[in-house]
Amino acid sequence: MSRPSGELKFVSAKRRVREDRRFVAGRGRYVADIALDNMLHVAVVPSRYPAARIVSIDASAALAMPGVAYVLTGDRLANAVDPLLNGLDTPNVKRYPLAVGQARYVGEWVAAVVADTRALAEDACEKVVVEYEPLPFVIDTEQALDPSSPPVHPEHGSNVLLDKTFVWGEVERDFAESPRQLTFRVVWGRSSTVPIETFGVAAKWDPWGEILDVWASIQMPKYPDQIARALRIPANSVRVHHDVDVGGSYGVKRGIKQTVLTAHLARTLDRPVRLIEDRLDNMRAGDAHGPERIFDVEVAFNDEGIVRSVKMRALDNVGAYAGRSPFQLGKPIGAIVGPYQIKSVQYRAQAVTSNKAAQEAVRGFGQAPTNYAIETAIDKVARAVGLDRIEVRRRNFIRKEQFPYLIPSGTQYDSGDYHTVLAKVLAHADYDGLKREQAELRARGLLAGIGIAACLEPSGGNSSFEPLLNEKNTTTTWMDSCRIHVDALGFVTVTIHTTSSGQGHETLAATVVGEVLEVDPDHIRVVRPDSLASLPSNSPVGSRMAIMLGGACFHAAHKLKDKLVRIGAKQLGRPENEVAYARGAVTAGGATLSWTDLITIAHRNFHLLPEGMEPGLETMHVEQVPTGSKLPENGRVQMYPCHSFEFHLILIAVDPLTGKPEIPRYVIGHDCGTVINPHIVRGMTLGGIAHGIGAALLEEFVYDGEGQMLTQSFMDYLLPSAHEVPKVEIVHHCTPSPFTVLGQKGSGESGYLGSPAAISGAINDAVAPLGISFSKLPIRIAEISDAIAGAAVSRAEEQR
Amino acid sequence: MKLDIAGSEHIPGATEALWRALNDPAVLRRCIPGCQNMEETSPDAYKIEMQLKVGAVSGSFQGEIALADKEPPKSCTISVSGAGSLGHGTGTARFTVEPDGAMSRLVYQGTGEIGGLVAGVGQRILKSASKYLIGRFFVALRQELENPIRTTAA
Repeated sequence: MSRPSGELKFVSAKRRVREDRRFVAGRGRYVADIALDNMLHVAVVPSRYPAARIVSIDASAALAMPGVAYVLTGDRLANAVDPLLNGLDTPNVKRYPLAVGQARYVGEWVAAVVADTRALAEDACEKVVVEYEPLPFVIDTEQALDPSSPPVHPEHGSNVLLDKTFVWGEVERDFAESPRQLTFRVVWGRSSTVPIETFGVAAKWDPWGEILDVWASIQMPKYPDQIARALRIPANSVRVHHDVDVGGSYGVKRGIKQTVLTAHLARTLDRPVRLIEDRLDNMRAGDAHGPERIFDVEVAFNDEGIVRSVKMRALDNVGAYAGRSPFQLGKPIGAIVGPYQIKSVQYRAQAVTSNKAAQEAVRGFGQAPTNYAIETAIDKVARAVGLDRIEVRRRNFIRKEQFPYLIPSGTQYDSGDYHTVLAKVLAHADYDGLKREQAELRARGLLAGIGIAACLEPSGGNSSFEPLLNEKNTTTTWMDSCRIHVDALGFVTVTIHTTSSGQGHETLAATVVGEVLEVDPDHIRVVRPDSLASLPSNSPVGSRMAIMLGGACFHAAHKLKDKLVRIGAKQLGRPENEVAYARGAVTAGGATLSWTDLITIAHRNFHLLPEGMEPGLETMHVEQVPTGSKLPENGRVQMYPCHSFEFHLILIAVDPLTGKPEIPRYVIGHDCGTVINPHIVRGMTLGGIAHGIGAALLEEFVYDGEGQMLTQSFMDYLLPSAHEVPKVEIVHHCTPSPFTVLGQKGSGESGYLGSPAAISGAINDAVAPLGISFSKLPIRIAEISDAIAGAAVSRAEEQR
Repeated sequence: MKLDIAGSEHIPGATEALWRALNDPAVLRRCIPGCQNMEETSPDAYKIEMQLKVGAVSGSFQGEIALADKEPPKSCTISVSGAGSLGHGTGTARFTVEPDGAMSRLVYQGTGEIGGLVAGVGQRILKSASKYLIGRFFVALRQELENPIRTTAA
């Protein structure tokens, strides 16, 4: 099944995104729109302490309130359910939906109150009296690493969840032979994606059918399996409804603790139960924070700015429970050298627990922080050798003719043309003009800096980091599926088997199937069966669905086309290779069987079907991740199959008095191979850049020294708004992937993976004349103005 | 989060009257902002229920107040601890009363630690909110002392 030859009709065309109609009209169907008869509502009691033994819970006053149905404590829940999935081999780091015996962070759910309304449940929460015995706690990342720090999970013995060192290539030799070296530390602050729609779930248990129905705002791989395991019920007793729109996620909508809690309550009370987090629930204990990471980096290079080797230590503060977060140190191994020809790498991945909220996957699964560290290294090398930062990148880039390119950690990059993308961006942006603009801004008394970031978006989402970090895990597939059904009247219906959180999968599936069958995608219906009627899917994670769902749709459509060709060839009395398929009809030597003729035969004329063909017209395909089919060997593994490239070139102006940064120019060069829908890719890239501006300048979950979380609302956790997000100019380039059906690569994380690095680079370029720099994200306005004022004071003292 | 509280206030009347008022649960009940109920559990120890609004959040607070290291009619240490829907808090403050002409001067200094909802949502205005609440306390206390009939009637 080869790529479509000749002109693409629907793929890459600027066709309307079909989902947008219902969203723009306010007719999306979200979990809060699911109304179940006789439904109860949940609110939760948060822990006041970062660490405390739960001495007693007195719910009598809450239970005495009219309309309150039930109060559940962690101890009772732990008797009824198994701990939630922990991907690492750390069996003593147990996690339940409610704190069991001990609370481990401020806000952790200590008890759940069920009542007729959410408001009543919240009021009743205030009546639940919890007696605590405060315990020692640890908040700071490096203190958590110290063996004398109080362990968050005493049974585990320490706060270290993961400490693994990889050496790929001749690192020590390369360092010894390199004439120049530098070391630095950068810190990625704890931020996340913070969707407008918080997590929500509704569950209903049918005791006679023995089936649990679940509606959720979810983006979780293997979600029904995890629910079934925790509740100790058969997996085919869990029915997850995929026809629920998800109001934003980018990784964090993993809601497994919320779901197990709600489902358990529905079973216990024999009534439908709904839990929808409010903003406070979500911010402090939705367990949806992102990476918080310290990078210590050593770079070996020469006088020409050629980087030969890197030693990187990444220490992540994962919060109170393991979840999937430590794996976010593993995924970046698949692009650990970025777009550069670095010969060898030493990488130490460390994850520690602390008394903060648990982490979840966030857009890029750890790649954006890693790219920030790599790009900071390249900027520092350029400064050290006195070369232009763009020239140093040019010199180190992997060249077009070197692809497929094997990086030291075992991943083969599929394709790329970094030099051309860079050249196109410089031409579009008028790099010399940009430098002039910078000089003009400086002449006007502003600080002005140019920021540059070149980075990769590994895409295709296999799960190779799991066996790499946990030898007991033998996962080598992370499949996705499509089924196509053509009914007796000739209408095409495509099924996809997951929820979507804004990625436009209905448009994707219709476009690809329409392309192969040469049928107008607007006439194709796309549906999402529930999980019991679904083929295997791993949900839209790892920037994978264009590749994986696109691949499944492509192959299923080809199987369908092949059936039509066989039916047509038999009627026309020709071998299959002598008939032609075009726009739904099969022709040979002037004779034609129309789409209707072919469909009628398939559905009604068994006697005309080729021998052995099943009646009706249905095909399916389960797509394996391209390239990733082996377990790791010697710490090396093929991570994701495809590698999109982005090159950011930006200009930032900083007001030296207020410290407020503005971005007068933002240009990004983007190459994600064949684009399936340009509107979707553009939306992903613009949103990703906005998200990166948040991570670089604004967003952080801050805890004080007493373990209290200070940024629980949008008054303190600052999101980028229309004021902060500039006009973005996108320069396109297309280097098709050789490993995918249409040459497509992923774009779900585009923009975000490089913008924090570019913004940090620009601000540091802006303040460099003052002799100051910033090495921690976010770089908040107050920190900028304080540092500028501090620099002025020291200069004045020097002059005295 | 930690909170430092310090200040001084001029109150009309002699130090003895001020000292008596500060040790009278009935006066305190009327003067403490949002105080719903206050009962003595043992000498110099009280249980208190409050209904408060701090910034974007409002809610209840149940706590204990204790007076210690008394040096009548001059100086005393007051400690507060409690919790409620607003969060939890503990604090200790030393106050000193001294004559200042026809008035009395009350100087106080202390530290508190606050957690939960107030720390998370109201922290940016916590300092000004605490100043405001202390201010309301002294406004009420002045009224008590300027209107001794009401004080004795209670």
